[in-house]
Formats: sequence, C-alpha cells, structure tokens
Amino acid sequence: MSNLKKIVLAEDNSTLSLLLKFRLEKEGFQLLIAEDGKKAVELIEANAPDIILTDIMMPYISGLEVISHVRNKLKLQIPIIVFSAAGQEEMVLKAFNLGANDFMGKPFSPNELVIRVKRLLI
Amino acid sequence: MDSSTVQIILLIIHTLFFIYAFSVIVSYIILAIISGIESNQYMKKNSFVNYNEILSSTVSPSISIIAPAYNESLNIIENVRSLLSSHYVNYDVIIVNDGSKDNSLELLIEAYDLEKVNYLINEQIPTKPLRAGIFKSTNPAFEKLIVVDKENGGKADALNFGLNISNSQYCACIDVDCLLLEDSLQKMIKPFLEVTNVKVIASGGVIRIANACTIKEGKLLDVNLPNKWIEIAQILEYLRSFLLGRMAWSRLNGLLVISGAFGMFEKKTAIEVGGYDTNTVGEDMEIIVRMRRYMEEKNVKYKVAYIPDPLCWTEAPDNYKILISQRNRWTRGTIETLRKHRKIGFNPKYNLLGMLSFPYWFFYERLAPVIEVIGIIYFIILIALKNVKWEYAFAFFLLAYLFSVIFTIIAIFSEELTFHQYKKKGTGFKLIFVTLLEPFILHPVILYAAIKGNYDYYFNKKKKWGEMKRKGLSKKII
Amino acid sequence: MFNNQNILEYFNQLPTLLKIVWIGSVVLFILILFFLFYLYYLRTYLRSKELISKNLFTQYENDLITYLYLGENTSQINSEQQTIIDKMKVSIQNTFKRTILISVLSKLKSDISGEMALAINQLFIKTGLLNYALKKLESKKWNQIALGIKELTQFEITNVYNEISKFQNYPKQEVRNQVQLYYVSLFHFKGLEFLDNLKTPISEWNQIQLLEILQKFDDQEITDISPWLKSENDSVVLFALKLAKIYNQFQVIEILLQLLNHKNKEIRVSAIEILGYFQVKETKEIVKSNFLDRSSEEKITFFKILQDIVTADDEAFIIENTLNPNFQIRFLAFQLLKKNHIEKLHELKQNATEFDNSRIFNFLEVV
Repeated sequence: MSNLKKIVLAEDNSTLSLLLKFRLEKEGFQLLIAEDGKKAVELIEANAPDIILTDIMMPYISGLEVISHVRNKLKLQIPIIVFSAAGQEEMVLKAFNLGANDFMGKPFSPNELVIRVKRLLI
Repeated sequence: MDSSTVQIILLIIHTLFFIYAFSVIVSYIILAIISGIESNQYMKKNSFVNYNEILSSTVSPSISIIAPAYNESLNIIENVRSLLSSHYVNYDVIIVNDGSKDNSLELLIEAYDLEKVNYLINEQIPTKPLRAGIFKSTNPAFEKLIVVDKENGGKADALNFGLNISNSQYCACIDVDCLLLEDSLQKMIKPFLEVTNVKVIASGGVIRIANACTIKEGKLLDVNLPNKWIEIAQILEYLRSFLLGRMAWSRLNGLLVISGAFGMFEKKTAIEVGGYDTNTVGEDMEIIVRMRRYMEEKNVKYKVAYIPDPLCWTEAPDNYKILISQRNRWTRGTIETLRKHRKIGFNPKYNLLGMLSFPYWFFYERLAPVIEVIGIIYFIILIALKNVKWEYAFAFFLLAYLFSVIFTIIAIFSEELTFHQYKKKGTGFKLIFVTLLEPFILHPVILYAAIKGNYDYYFNKKKKWGEMKRKGLSKKII
Repeated sequence: MFNNQNILEYFNQLPTLLKIVWIGSVVLFILILFFLFYLYYLRTYLRSKELISKNLFTQYENDLITYLYLGENTSQINSEQQTIIDKMKVSIQNTFKRTILISVLSKLKSDISGEMALAINQLFIKTGLLNYALKKLESKKWNQIALGIKELTQFEITNVYNEISKFQNYPKQEVRNQVQLYYVSLFHFKGLEFLDNLKTPISEWNQIQLLEILQKFDDQEITDISPWLKSENDSVVLFALKLAKIYNQFQVIEILLQLLNHKNKEIRVSAIEILGYFQVKETKEIVKSNFLDRSSEEKITFFKILQDIVTADDEAFIIENTLNPNFQIRFLAFQLLKKNHIEKLHELKQNATEFDNSRIFNFLEVV
C-alpha cells in the first residue's frame, strides 16, 4: 500500500496540468488529473484524495460546484485550493463561502503553489 | 383576342419569368462574393482576439439569458445546466416557464434548490401575470439562475416577461432546448463593445443542427452528421443561409432577421420599441424589423451584427410532418412581418432597409414560392396544350439544377475553410450526395409548406388563432 | 447512336439562347467536378493537418516542461536545455510548426508567473521566435502586424517599444488595440501615456482589456488621471472615469463634479455613479439644479446613489418624484421614504395617483 498523499487536480489547461503534475510528483505526491469539473467529482469520489486543487472556470461543472459538492453532498473536510483568473474577486469570495481553504490568482508561480499545498497538508 | 395579342401577352409573361430567374441567380452570385469577403475579414479579425480578460472582468456589461419554456420537463434540468455553464462572469439566466402543464417547475425547484422570492417587476411591456411566482436558488453555486412561473401567453409574451425583469444591459433571447457553447456570450457581446462609430442594437448567432451529435449533460462532445437525408438536407440549407446569405447581408448591414433561437439585444432599445409582438408567429423577425425601423425613424446610425461561429446547437425536425408545420409557421411569420411594416418598402426615407433589404425579402423570400408555383402551373398548362418546347425546358431545367448544386457546394467550401465542423472521414461524400439530391427531396417539401403557409395565412384564420391560443412554444424555430 | 458529329450538328442548329444555356450548363458541370475534387483534397488536407498539429502540440508541450525543469535550479542554460533549443530552432523554420510552438508557450504563459514565466520568455528569444515576430511587423497585412505585436506583448519584449509605437495611429482599429495592450501589459500605468494625445476612440472592449491587465500588477501606484478626465476624446474620459472608480481617485472629485454637465450623456451618467460611490454630497445640488432637463438614465442613476447620500433636506425632492412617470424612479423614491420617512410613505399610500404603485408597495412590504 502506498502512503503517498493523493492530490486531485482539476484544470482545463493541459499544459499547466502537465507542469504541475511533474512538479508535485517530484515533491512526492500522487497526482490525479481531471480536465473538467465532472471528471474531478468522479476522481474525488473514487479516490478519497488528501487535497483538491481546482480551477474555477471549467467546462460543464465549475470549480464552485466541485467545492459545493465536496462540502455539502460528500461532507468532506479535505483542504481545497482554487485557482482563478485575476479580477474575479466575486468568484473567489463565493469559493471561500462554499468552503475553499486557499486561493491562487492566475497567473501564479508553481513554486508558490507547492508551498501552499505543503502547508495545508501538515 | 387574336393570336398576335396572345403572342404578346405570352412574350411578356416569359420575359417576366426570365428576368426574375436571372435576377435571382445574379443576386445569389453577388451575395456569395460578398460573404466570401466578409468571412475572410471575420476570420482575420478573430485570429488573435483574447477573450479571457472580457470573461473575468467585473466591468464587462451584464447579460441576461432569457429562455422561455413550455412543457419542456423532459430535458429542462439538463438544458438549464448547460445555460449555467457559460464562461462569462457578469450574467444571469432567466427561465420563463410559460404556463407549462407538466411538472417542469417542480423539477427545477428540486434540482436547483429554488425558493420563492419577492421580486419587483417593472412592467414596461404588458404581459400575462405570474402564476406561482419568481424563484431563486438557495445554493450560491446557482445564484445566476432566476425561474419565473407565469400564466401561458406564448413565446413572445414569455420573452417580454424576461425583458421586464432583467436587470442587465443586454439580453440574449434563446430557445431553452438550444445548447450554447461556453464561449457564446463573450463572442455575441463583442460587436456591441468593439464598434465605436455606430450603435449596435442586436447581434444574431448561427444555428447548427445537433441531430446525431453526441451531447452529454448539457455539453456538446462530438459533432456527427445525421443519417437521414432530410436532416442532412437541412444542414446544407442552414449552411447556405447562415454562411452565405446572412454573412453577406451583415456586411451590407441589411440583416432583417436574427434567429429566435439565439440572438442578443440591447435591452433598452428592445424595450423602447415595445418588446416582442405577441400577435405574430414570426416574432423573431418582426422585432428586428421594428427595431431597425425605430432607429431609422430616430435617424440614429445603427447596426445589426452577426456572429458566424457555431455557438448554438439545436435539434432540427427529422420527419416531414414537423418540418412542414415549422416552415408553414416561418412563412406566415414572414408574411405578417412584411405586411405589418409594408410602409418601409421602397421608401427612400428608410435608406438601405427600405430600398434593398425589404424589397429583397419581399421578392426573393416572400414571393419566391408563389412565383415558383405559378411557373409550375403555367408549365402544366403548356403540357396540356402540348405547347412545350422540350428542348428549352430541359436545357433550362438542367442549368437551374446545376446552379443550385454549385451554390450549395460553395456553402460547403465556406464551412470547410472557416469552422470545419464535420471533420469525420466520409461525411464529405454524404454531404455531396445529398447536395445532388436536395433539389428533389427537400425543396418540394419546403415549397409545399410555404404554399400551405400562404393558404393558411389568407384563408385559415382559425388555424392562426388556434395556434396562438395553444401557444405551442414554437419549438425548433430558427 | 449519338456521336460527336451528331452532337455538334445538333448544337449548331440550336437558337442562340439555347446555345448559351447549354454552354452555361457545361461550364457549371466542369466547375462542379473541379470543386468536388478540390473539396476532397481540402478535407483530406485539413484532417491530416489537424492530426499532425495535435501530435506536435503534445511533443512541444513535453519539450517545454522538460526544458523548464532542467533549468530549475540554475540561471545558466545547460547543455541538455541547449539541445532542446536547437531542436526547436530547426523545426520552427516551418510556419505551421512555429504557430503551434507559439500556442504551446502562450498557453502556459497565460497561467503561470515567477521564474518559470521568465524562462518561457527567454525561450521565446533563444529559439528565434522573436525574430519571426519582428518580421511580422514589416508585413503589409494588418492582421500579421497585430499578431506580431501580440506575440511581443505576450513574451514581454520591452526593448521594441519604438518599433511598436510606429503603429500607434495605424488606420485599422485592431492594430491600434494591440499597440495599447502592449503599452499597458509591459509598462503598466506608465504605458497609459498614450492617452494624452489619443485622437481615435478606444472601444469599450479594449477599455475592459486594459483595466483587467492593469489589475494584474502588484504595483498599483496610478499616475495622475486628471488630464484624461479633461480630454477632448470622450472615450478617454470614460476610460479615466473607470480608473477613478477602481483606484479610488478622491483627488479628482472637483473634475468629476464638472463632468456632471458634460455634453456626453454617457459621461454624465458615469460621473454621477462614481460621485455616489465616493459619497460626495455636492453632487446633489448640481444634479438637482437641472434635474428635469436630464435624461432618464441620469435620473435613475442619481436616485440610486441618493440611497447612500440622502439627508433630511432631500425629503421634498423625493416626495416630488414619487409622482415621476418613470416606474424605476418612483420605486427608488418610495424606497428612500421607507428608509427615512416611513410615516410619509404611509400617508402617500393613501393618496390615489394616476400611477399604479401597488406592486411597489407590495414589494416594499408597506402594510
């Protein structure tokens, strides 16, 4: 049995996903990648991750709904970090209201993300 | 009458027919050329546009999507979900349940955690009253959703209700069963925001046929070509109309109609002209003509824009019965609109609208089926009198056929060079095959429907009122 | 049986009109055949191109990420990285491949910042993509120029400022837009200097883009916006008004008050709104002084901001407007009364007027 910490990453920019996957795997995490919100919800339900990283703007199910689903329907308290484009203050507030733990405005530095992930997992 | 008078009369008739046919062909060629120029410009212009900033900006203008629904319980949850997934920040979705007799409202309440809210309605356009009231979601993830339950009043009345309660600057009026792609709103709003020298009053979108496409949970996953000839023939027809016809008319700023299934309006102007006309079956065309007329009369420079991207997908009729009733309705809508605004025709006060758009629609859309039928009757009489010069008949028929085929092929080219939606191997052959058949399989049906529409309009008023009363929301309207 | 001879003879004896029709048909027929072959070719070409571009995209994506990780802890380019650069250099001699590489770089660039973002900019220069972008500026086609400027913006090439400034007054709006985006993306607030003597209108679309770009920067020290508020160019004034609101420019309140009587309605409405946002009480006297002559948009906006800056001496003015023919103004007036003079509202409710206010009273829950 592996005791790697599992991360679900929901992000529709495939290049960014790939970059973060490399980066976080190097730090010793196991990465599960979803390209839309729908897939993210499936991965979360199937794998019980330790942390969720999700973009707000995604095809079909938005990041907000992913958070809402995790907190209200699945009743999970695992940490969630949301990504959003700059200027979407309103969206970020909503994300926090729904139970997000942290947020990063795009464009962000991958190194900073790693630090925030580690901090939430301690 | 002596034979020479008969000869002269016949000669006049022949010449008129000839001039008409010739002018149709010439106008098609001109429209095709203009649309080529415009498509090229459009593709260039949009090759480096970045939509991200517009999306996320809270300064972006507000948009309301207004979608009337009548007995749509089968798909309403999915459809609403698709409308809510637009990638634009500053928008809301107003679903107007127009007195449905099914359980649409209950389903919506259940799926989206709705609760009744106190809402102030500014009744700028008179409409039928509320039934159960206005609802909003308690879940912040669905806060963009507003559901209105009102008494039945027809599609135009439902849209007017939406216009009344919208707090946005712009309104996108759509059919609830249409599937919108996620970037629809920012593409449709663009002309309103980028044109600086004239006022943009409306922008129209393209309707694509979703039959046989893979749609999962409100999202278009895969574009397929349907199997039935009747469906493919309609695809060709839509390509011709949207990629050649409307593209060219938008270049000339002469668009008389934008699709009821997906069009965006500046709300203030739409309300100033009194909203949609509830007394016509062609409310989507009528409101544009009225808005244009209003702008002309106010002497304000304006524009009706057009976005050719494939953003809105809907099911087209897959059997002749529904197709005929749809086209019958479109015909009556056109007649009603042109009659109501006949003052515009050949009136130089209305500039291009009066001198070009309106006459073109009158002669080549409104009268075309009538003239065609007169021609057919005349031909039959000639056959009966054994007076047909078969050599001529055959040669002209062949020329007309080849011309219609080549025009469709140009439309296919236009599609391949711009949006290239039917990518799969083998679909090209199918498209060409139906192109060759279409003049025999689809055209006669559409001609029949148009004639029936004319008949119903003049001699069957009961039908009209029956329809208005039943208010079968004009499903699948272009 | 027909043979060529017969067909020719038949054709020759036809009347001219028929001859023309037949020739027309034959020409169309040949055209159709030609189009069909071309269509077949085009579709095959598009299909294969799409497949190739998909594969190339993945390949470049992987190359890029490998490149970025190889350089992670060093500031020098190492030999493995150099290999990737050399490989890219060769392959982008082909325009099609070049477009794809640029799309891969810009896709990642748009979402990340920090050292890796700088490394992508470096890659853009090192692979020679920069030179291709500069070459686009010399093109005669406006869309090429715009595209070139866009690339130079995206990969933050600051030292081509002079070359790009040449296009500041280019006749095509799209090119001018890109120039403005370049200024602001790379030089932030200082880049806004172009507004000083801008003659052409900035579209609403571009204004929004510029504002969004400005908000991305950490440095939010804005330059003095007052000259722009006094600009002859209405779109510059409108843009400056948006800046005033977003960056809380209290020091320009005097100018904003002057704008309340600007000749452009949109500017007046916007000025009212911002002054309300700043809660400037002087606004009231100026707007009220010619309230009746103002447009309904101004009136409504004014009543909206009045909710925040209302004082006891506004009562008469509010009561007067409970009889305003505009529904929205009446509603806002009643709402103000409910908040501040509830007894007056009850009194007014009894009076019958020519307007039906029952909806408003219901909404305000006045019993």
